[in-house]
Amino acid sequence: MAQEKPLIYMKFAGLSRAGESGFVESTVKTKSYLGGLNRIFSRFLFVIAGFALTGTMLLTVADVILRAFKRPILGTYELVGLLGAVVIGFALPQTSRLKGHVMMDFLTGKLPDTLQSVLRILTRLLAIGLFAILGWNTWSMGNDFYRVGEVTPTLQLPLYPVTYLMALCFFIECLVLFVDMLEKRELEP
Amino acid sequence: MSFATIGLLVILLLFVFFFMGLEIGFSMALAGFIGFAAIVNVDAAFNLVAKDVFSVLSSYGFTVIPMFVLMGQVGASGGVARNLYDSAYKFIGHVPGGLAIGTVAAATVFKAICGSSPATAATFATIAVPEMDRYNYDRRLSCGTVATVGTLGILIPPSVVLIVYGILTETSIGKLFLAGIIPGLIVAFSFVMTLFGWSAMNPNLGPKGEKSSWKERFSSLPPVLVVLSIFLIVVGGLMMGFFTPTEAGSVGTFAVLILTLCKKDMDLKRFIQAVSETLRIACMVIMLIAGATILGHFFAVTRTPYIVASWLEGLQVDRTVIMLIIISVYLIGGSFIEDLAFLILATPIFLPVVLKMGYDPIWFGVIVSVVTMIGVILPPMAINAFVVSGVCKEPVGTVYKGIYPFIIGMSLCLLLLLFFPQISLWLPNMMME
Repeated sequence: MAQEKPLIYMKFAGLSRAGESGFVESTVKTKSYLGGLNRIFSRFLFVIAGFALTGTMLLTVADVILRAFKRPILGTYELVGLLGAVVIGFALPQTSRLKGHVMMDFLTGKLPDTLQSVLRILTRLLAIGLFAILGWNTWSMGNDFYRVGEVTPTLQLPLYPVTYLMALCFFIECLVLFVDMLEKRELEP
Repeated sequence: MSFATIGLLVILLLFVFFFMGLEIGFSMALAGFIGFAAIVNVDAAFNLVAKDVFSVLSSYGFTVIPMFVLMGQVGASGGVARNLYDSAYKFIGHVPGGLAIGTVAAATVFKAICGSSPATAATFATIAVPEMDRYNYDRRLSCGTVATVGTLGILIPPSVVLIVYGILTETSIGKLFLAGIIPGLIVAFSFVMTLFGWSAMNPNLGPKGEKSSWKERFSSLPPVLVVLSIFLIVVGGLMMGFFTPTEAGSVGTFAVLILTLCKKDMDLKRFIQAVSETLRIACMVIMLIAGATILGHFFAVTRTPYIVASWLEGLQVDRTVIMLIIISVYLIGGSFIEDLAFLILATPIFLPVVLKMGYDPIWFGVIVSVVTMIGVILPPMAINAFVVSGVCKEPVGTVYKGIYPFIIGMSLCLLLLLFFPQISLWLPNMMME
């Protein structure tokens, strides 16, 4: 499979694992029930993030063109900001699942296998802790926004739905990290 | 415990997280959270993480990152690089080392639409290396060249590094883009000189290719001109204040998309691939920034940047020496931690010092970019070398051997830019008053 070759550098760069997208058949093998659930969630969110990204681009271009005819699209500025949150937040679980975040693994890679597993479990627990805190507090921030009725300045769009969605993404990120902790990490060539 | 002690402990904790293999962005967020909880209180720290991450994710200013990354990815998967390489090859392929020089020329133009360094290295590794193999180029030369040309995009606009630097330091992205153009061309020129010198010393490294007729040469030019005009629209529109950076990125992406659609080099599958690559890169970069924002708020409470500034000032040496120290920190730090991550971590700490010494932040952005360029090809964390070694199935050691000669030229450029700030500042000062 052509998709298996570039795995070597993906780990370092978090970039350009050509062809291995959320849409193409994934090379990460998951058999467990939790793993499957994890995969479906991450990819579903990733697809939405893709639509949000394309939408942001088209919306901005349309605004620029219409502005030339003195008919700008009202509230583009706030819509792009909110869509930006969807783009990054929804892409987060899949990026983690594909080991797309930069880390310093040239040192841990040289350690004995047992120690590597211990460190992996430890770092996954730390990361789960971080995202649990993040998810919980973003959720309660959403509660505040809902109660106060916080809206964007021009379009008067309520802020709480996006906030709740972000919190949801952070909880799904916890799931991804949890599955990552249970799975044996693929051996790098 | 004093604030300075807690600050130091948190930095120590940060490095422990790094070495344990926790993601760098998450490490910064967690260390910042723990530090903030220790100094202020846990409730405030809970509030801080949620507010910081949400505001970074939902801010209009940061949407510029996915947009410019998307522009580069669409260009990369739409075969724009191949057109540019074909053209450069026809003009210069017939001299010794000419295919490698052609790679530099094509990459320089390609960088005008693609800001990602590993993406360029990977693109040219798949296009230019097989071509150089056909003419029996030495693998050290071919792999070294493609790994090195990838770095040009860090300086030539629309560079993701300059965008991130602009956001972090609140300097004008348009000005930074302009400031990067001349230094970028100088560095590209140093690559050409390195290749000339290297192939003159050892002609077997890069044998001559075929000579093309002038007719063939001119007929290969249109895609080059289209790419250059897209660049002019994007950077020009940004400079004139006609676009915000996000709009410039969107318009550029749209233009590149239309170009590749017209050439029938773009289909749904490739576009989806470009979008998913973009999502991953953008998500990685923005999570780094989110982590750094949390850590930055902790540092602001402990006044760490001011402590660093007053310590460096207390050294009683010339400001050039202090600048050299800062550059060394970036080089050493960036060679162990991923370079962009280190830039995001270190810049807010050093910027107050740089400003206090009377340096221009735009100029410092250019210097930091050149240092980052060297950093991404300097072992042991040389992303570009890993990418090229993966694509060309060549040991990383061979790629490194091909990279070293270029580093000499890049270091000379760094010194040149360091002692003659007007090289970087002339264009932005002239165009944007």
